[in-house]
Amino acid sequence: MLKKASLLILAAAFGIMSCSKDPISDLSTEETLVYVTNHDKAANYTQYKTFSIVDSVLVVENGQAGTALTELDRDVLVRIMTNMEKLGYKYVRPQDKPDVGINASWISNTYLNVVSQPLSNYYGGYWGGGGFGYGYPNYYQYYQTNENYWLISMLDFKNPNTVDKTFNVVWDAQIRGAGINDRQFVDTMVDSIFGQSSYLKIN
Amino acid sequence: MKKIIIIALFVIGTLHAYAQEQEAPKLYTLPSPFDRYTHYLATARLTGAMPVGSFADNYIDKASFRNYSISLEWVLRDSPFSLGGELGSSFFEKRIPRAIYENGDETISAVQTRTLSQIPIEVFGNYHFLGKNSTVQPYVQLSGGVSILDYTLYYGNLSSQAQKVRPKYGIGLGSKFLFKRDGAFGVDVRVKYDGVSYKHEYIDKGISSVNGSIGLFYRWW
Repeated sequence: MLKKASLLILAAAFGIMSCSKDPISDLSTEETLVYVTNHDKAANYTQYKTFSIVDSVLVVENGQAGTALTELDRDVLVRIMTNMEKLGYKYVRPQDKPDVGINASWISNTYLNVVSQPLSNYYGGYWGGGGFGYGYPNYYQYYQTNENYWLISMLDFKNPNTVDKTFNVVWDAQIRGAGINDRQFVDTMVDSIFGQSSYLKIN
Repeated sequence: MKKIIIIALFVIGTLHAYAQEQEAPKLYTLPSPFDRYTHYLATARLTGAMPVGSFADNYIDKASFRNYSISLEWVLRDSPFSLGGELGSSFFEKRIPRAIYENGDETISAVQTRTLSQIPIEVFGNYHFLGKNSTVQPYVQLSGGVSILDYTLYYGNLSSQAQKVRPKYGIGLGSKFLFKRDGAFGVDVRVKYDGVSYKHEYIDKGISSVNGSIGLFYRWW
């Protein structure tokens, strides 16, 4: 009788563990967007008056770079210009010695992952806590994950680091989430990264 | 079932012999098997949980109704105590509309989805105030064990996860209600305070919650 009961309890326990649902499945595309900005706290933005911007988007895929100018890219660049002008910066052509330069990049990384079957961190992975794993033979499976994000950075052309021959990044922004390659969200995305960086305002 | 019949026959037989010399036995006053034997009792519970303390203040303050547990206990003979084990599953979740978070030099704007799921495994002891065949059986409970927990904090659809096994304890007050006297089925109602010692990011002083559960039990010997 007890044996039967323990079996039942075990079965119920497995039932309990497998009924978790995805807590973010109800997020709208707009809600999945995450804006991360960083800035150089030592930078004094009021010293900058003019800016310029790249004429196409730098596409970095798995460490290899190229450029592109799709409609989406153009929308992003135009919206960045609108925001910069609103903050008080004056647009000049790249050859007219702008104080700051804006880079826009689309970063795309693909990772190849390997797992042994069964997916131990998924079903019943909790049993592995005692130092014991499953006695199954190992079947390996490969899967790919892909991350894409926008990286927008502001370079200080006014005060180049002459020793290292580099331009300091005084501000950068990452945009991640679903919908970052959707033209519909361009205005929201770009306005948001500038909106949360009020220290950039010079007017 | 066979066993019961044999035991019953045996009991009747010996009593019959005994009755030759004594006055007629009162068979119907024989204590119930639940009084005579240490027996098993299994309970399945649905729980509503309310976070309290700093866990509620700093991480999730939303009540959760996605909690379940099953328990098996040994109700000891000639004793108001029962001992058992309980295995559960609990899940807390809270969505926070888009907000800006400062993290060092970094500014993050995101919709946060805070989650905490736990698989608590506990042993417990109950002290019952009334007899095993009383239709209402109030009890107090003390429990201790571990919680296999998973802290996953989502920023948009990006997640940061931490998994740990941490000690937990609980103090409960409840009552069993038998559907009928001497019956095998009943309802269990319990209010329990659960505490788990855990520290990670937003959770600085452990996870505490007050849980109200309603369960169905079956007992057998």
